Amino acid sequence: MSASPAPAVEIDHISKRYGRTVALDEVTFSVQCGDVFALLGPNGAGKTTLLHILCTILRPDSGTARIGGIDVRANPLGARRSLGVVFQEPSLDDRLTVAENLEFHGLVYGVPKAVRRARIDEMLDLVELEKWRDTLVRTLSSGMKRRLEVARALVHDSRILFLDEPTAGLDAQSRERMWQYLRNARQERELTVIVTTHYIEEVENCDRVCIIDGGRILADDTPAALKARHGHALVRLAARDEMASAEIISAHPEIARRNGEEIVLRSSGDAFTEELLQRFGTRIRRLVIEEPSLESVFLALTGRELRDQAAGARERTYEFGKRGGEHTR
Amino acid sequence: MTENAPSLPAAASAQLRASSDVLIRRGKLNRSWRGCAGGIYAIWLREVKRATRDRGQLIGGVVRPLLYVLIMGIGLNPYFRGEIYGEVRFVVPYTYVQFLFPAVIALNIMYTSVQSAVSVIWDREFGFLREVLVSPMPRAAILFGKILGGTTVALFHGALVLTLARFADVSVSPADLVVGLGLMFLIAFALTSLGVVIANRIRSFEGFGVFSNVVILPLYFLSSSIFPLDPALTSAQTRVIYPEWLVTLIKLNPLTYAIDALRGAFIHFQQFDPRLGPAILVAMSILFFLIALRDFRRT
Repeated sequence: MSASPAPAVEIDHISKRYGRTVALDEVTFSVQCGDVFALLGPNGAGKTTLLHILCTILRPDSGTARIGGIDVRANPLGARRSLGVVFQEPSLDDRLTVAENLEFHGLVYGVPKAVRRARIDEMLDLVELEKWRDTLVRTLSSGMKRRLEVARALVHDSRILFLDEPTAGLDAQSRERMWQYLRNARQERELTVIVTTHYIEEVENCDRVCIIDGGRILADDTPAALKARHGHALVRLAARDEMASAEIISAHPEIARRNGEEIVLRSSGDAFTEELLQRFGTRIRRLVIEEPSLESVFLALTGRELRDQAAGARERTYEFGKRGGEHTR
Repeated sequence: MTENAPSLPAAASAQLRASSDVLIRRGKLNRSWRGCAGGIYAIWLREVKRATRDRGQLIGGVVRPLLYVLIMGIGLNPYFRGEIYGEVRFVVPYTYVQFLFPAVIALNIMYTSVQSAVSVIWDREFGFLREVLVSPMPRAAILFGKILGGTTVALFHGALVLTLARFADVSVSPADLVVGLGLMFLIAFALTSLGVVIANRIRSFEGFGVFSNVVILPLYFLSSSIFPLDPALTSAQTRVIYPEWLVTLIKLNPLTYAIDALRGAFIHFQQFDPRLGPAILVAMSILFFLIALRDFRRT
């Protein structure tokens, strides 16, 4: 009804601490309707905490968060209505079949029967699981389970989809398919997607990328703008002889790095490359220009690569369950 | 709706917003009630479906009463006679297996109730409950569906024991059955709620064995389930025959009165005031549900 709709998600100075650890420190950003918004950061950066606050299962210490204009603290039930969530850990019931899981979800979200039936068929079709409709979930592969979870999050009228590491642990092919499903889903309905990931290559196609580390936002922009501002093109070259290598390095001592026979130079643009070629062109055997990547942006902003961490208490208990605690479920 | 009519006085616009809020809320309330019923049904159905697919639980539910009734009950039956002592001191007018039978029903309900309550931990930690927690269902409805599901399964396992009534020489009239099933439902509901309360307080998960040994069996053995506190004796005499601590614990245990009520229904024998059992069961159900709800809202 208005010309400029409220942002799908608005986060205003959200802070959360666990004991002495600051998980989120005055985080502020907003996501426009229809965007694909990526939260990029290493494990423990606060991505999951942020998502949990947004889906109202965690209360922030301070600050406000709004989903489609609804304050998650004042009206959590209202805020949840438009949400679809895919958690980091699988949250399917593996003793129920594929269709039963979706049916359960539809009932819990109060989707009327006729709509529910149609939507379940549609979503199974979307993620190519219609053949497995009556299969128990425990027999599915992990990639299929993830797909089913995406389908489930779309069974009700979700307008905002949260995906917490939806592609973690999947092979490259399954990951590509997952994104294809999301693209297809976005053609069917107006959908804002907020995704956390630590696969940098997946982020390239998002509308906005928010780099988060240690509970703080380091950058929040389109991938192209991030690369333009924080990324560097790299020139990789191999000189014809040792003397040429030494000369090139001594000409650019600050930005050059030697990598075996190869020299890697941080380029400041085309002018730099041209000048380099003019000066050393005849003595270079091979030269490759690497466009700025988000990897280099991340490196420049955080000073390190995306890292993985040791298993926490939850993972250990989960392992226990896998080993033999199963009968207790 | 850019800048809510700045020409209106602030008070009037606030009032307008408040009244429209009420309208919206009323509409939502209707919708949410219907939605809730569907959601409760879904959670209940899930519990029941899972139980029917869980062979291990079903086997436990069948084997346990067989052991207690056919082996322990029939085995101890001859030793449960007052005449052994020359004079009639045990006035329980029933054989041991008849006396034990209602308690086995309670035992089966207990195991199943607590088992489904423990699944709350799994549901909470590993996902499935999370998916419900981010849904628009209120916490109370989620918990109610979950406990109702556990109650239904436990009631079914309790009813399994009834098929052994013939072997225990217990004849169950239809009227007994109605009263008995009602009591069994209350026991199942109270114990599932209690299980959820305990499960919520457990930080590290050690498996069902701990529950079995620390919660179920102590409560069960201290409920006058497998031996009677002789009602013919005065309170003082009971404390002479049995150690005082044992009698005290049994009398403090609410399950004592639950099993006593079941005996009233199935073998028409009660050691305590017949009003006590149902009253305590209703109180337990409400109390434990409310505590469970309070804990649940916090997570």
